[in-house]
Amino acid sequence: MIKVNGEKHSWYEGMTIKDLLKDVNNSHLYAVIRINEKHISRPYFEKTLVPDNSEVFLIPMIAGG
Amino acid sequence: MAEYKMESLKTFNYDRPVIEKGYANQTLCIDISDGVISIKPVTEKMKNVFIGGKGFDLWLLWNAVNSTTKWNDPENAICIASGPMGGTPVYPGSGKSIVTTISPLTGSVIDSNVGGYFGPYLKFSGFDALEVMGKTSKDIVIFIDGIDEKVQIFKASGLPDDSYTLSAILTEHFAKGRPRNISVVSTGPGAKNTRMGCLNFTWYDLKRKRARYKQAGRGGIGGVFADKGIKAIVARWDTVTTKTNNPANANTLKEVGRKHSREVVELDPKQNQMAQIGTTHLVTIMNDFDLLPTHNFQYGQHSEADNIGQEVFRRIFDPGYDGCWMGCTLACSHGVKDFVPLTGPYKGTKVFVDGPEYETIAGCGSNLGIFDPHTIIEMNFYCDTYGLDTISVGTSTAFAMECFEMGLINETHTHGMNLSFGNRLAALEVVHQMARGKGFGQIIGRGVRQMKIIFSRDYGADPDLMQDIGMEAKGLEFSEYMTKESLAQQGGYGLALKGPQHDEAWLIFLDMVHNFMPTFEQKAEALHWFPMFRTWFGLCGLCKLPWNDVIPEDNKDTPEPAKVMKHVEWYADYYTAVTGRQTTPDVLIRMSEAVYNFQRIFNLKMGFGQREHDNIPYRAVGPVKAVEYESRAERYDKQLVEKNNVDITGKTTEEKIALLREFREKLYEKLKDAVYKRRGWTNNGIPTVETVKRLGIDFPEVLELLRAYGVES
Repeated sequence: MIKVNGEKHSWYEGMTIKDLLKDVNNSHLYAVIRINEKHISRPYFEKTLVPDNSEVFLIPMIAGG
Repeated sequence: MAEYKMESLKTFNYDRPVIEKGYANQTLCIDISDGVISIKPVTEKMKNVFIGGKGFDLWLLWNAVNSTTKWNDPENAICIASGPMGGTPVYPGSGKSIVTTISPLTGSVIDSNVGGYFGPYLKFSGFDALEVMGKTSKDIVIFIDGIDEKVQIFKASGLPDDSYTLSAILTEHFAKGRPRNISVVSTGPGAKNTRMGCLNFTWYDLKRKRARYKQAGRGGIGGVFADKGIKAIVARWDTVTTKTNNPANANTLKEVGRKHSREVVELDPKQNQMAQIGTTHLVTIMNDFDLLPTHNFQYGQHSEADNIGQEVFRRIFDPGYDGCWMGCTLACSHGVKDFVPLTGPYKGTKVFVDGPEYETIAGCGSNLGIFDPHTIIEMNFYCDTYGLDTISVGTSTAFAMECFEMGLINETHTHGMNLSFGNRLAALEVVHQMARGKGFGQIIGRGVRQMKIIFSRDYGADPDLMQDIGMEAKGLEFSEYMTKESLAQQGGYGLALKGPQHDEAWLIFLDMVHNFMPTFEQKAEALHWFPMFRTWFGLCGLCKLPWNDVIPEDNKDTPEPAKVMKHVEWYADYYTAVTGRQTTPDVLIRMSEAVYNFQRIFNLKMGFGQREHDNIPYRAVGPVKAVEYESRAERYDKQLVEKNNVDITGKTTEEKIALLREFREKLYEKLKDAVYKRRGWTNNGIPTVETVKRLGIDFPEVLELLRAYGVES
């Protein structure tokens, strides 16, 4: 089990960020997500595994300085 | 503590006006040449057209200078203002000041926004804006005491040159036991000896019991300050509450302020965590998207970027509240406690470093090929205390390093210094030399535009090549984002009024990553709306971060998620609650349009502000050198084939670079056409008579100026 934006979400062995985002509406808007305290950017969504019990935050938009 | 003396030269007593709906309704003018201090009224027309903050600054500066005024002429003024909402403690990000002057780097008007307590304290002391003009051979300290209702000019001797210790001494000197009542504006020796001096604005950190500071960095304002002979300007004010700004509707203000504050408190921990790590989260994100400048903007990515990313600074920053204005819940002004520099006058001494932020990490780190956080922190510390802008220092040093590596300059010119990328000690030595006004650092301190002239004239370096790789436009050094793959951000930099600073339009992610603006018309619309709305923050005394660095959870379901309209509507309510003037989001844009166009016309007055001045170096548009092209050959080859229908078979890298350049430069010129049209400007980039009339800035001198450039109705 993981948490996504504070809500419980099922987890399975081998789940990548790309897999996780299939369950999210308008997932194309998320270019960056945070797993616990580590930021992961879209180029790495496909190869980054989501660890069990992790807390995932979908970062809505990067707005710059 | 240093032995120093302060001799009073002039005391000006005044009656402090009651603040009315966010305005003191008067400004303070100090001519330091003859010590004349005067008060000017703020008219209703000024408030209607210029709103406050940068708008007031520009109007005062416009009236102070003429078209031939140079940065170091006595009539050049330094203008500082907050804005009608500046000094509100219940709404996040409401303590900003804007500083304007004629810049030593650009020769035209520059503006720079900054946190700290000064702007609000100035207003609560009775002045919506301050203009300081004239010059003096003495070192003077100006003291604006809102509690005792007097302005004093002191002749100072024995005070330290560097801003770090000077800020601490003057805070204690004027505090009368209450250091939180004081805000000091000062600079350091680097400002005196370069063209890229900054101003430090203090705020008092109650927990750490020290004066800390933020920087008005861009455009060399610190140099004007130092050249005038001003050691510091100090404001003193008492306790601040919501009532201090006397808003038109305190209940509505509290309600909207509470909503935005609560949202920041709830969502920032889930999103960018700026209250913990500031803007450092951007480092690795920019790197991931090939946007982090490395080695003088040649590349956007480096394998060692994680070493200077947010995970490192999360460990280094001293935890605790870091709001540069009271009550800000975003509180992103982090710092490093007990840092021990390895070089310079503070070598071996524990100091507190304010920062670094993303721009400093990229400018003094990755762009110099430096991926060591401690070197970046040390450069941050010395740039601040010497009064130097970390962005211009970074971008200028990066240019010199690339010239050195390419053999355009050599150790004969650098006085034996090896200026290769990644040379940490050399980068630090450059900063120390800037402060001393000695060695090659003094040349770098003149900025990229002057270096191009000097290297070509005195060292025989290729001027065309330096034009392509020297990252300045309008004379100002680029801030730290790669723009090669974002046409909209090329415009965001190139079409910015003061030069390539991202505060006007930061569109890289929206354009390149989110693809929110695929057409020219959409890019032009974005290059209208975003600069206007961002300008509005500078009119009102606000920080833009709470607007779009914390995003409502339902924002993605709105028609235009990039604009974060829920927050824009809150800002309209906030403005109404403070000023009593009913407004809507559309009206906020209209307010900015008037000031924005006036600033463009101000550029024209100073001999700039036309299409040719919106040009940018090719390095900002595409790959200049073969190594740049080849490092991303797949991307560029694909673009040539798929977007431009080029058969690249058998073509050399140089031939492909030339073809790509032709296509991309055409696109940039086409973008200019579209943006000028959207902004209501001529094809030469000058506001039309119809535009200035629509915006209420059709003053006789404006129309006369437009006529002189062939723009008539």
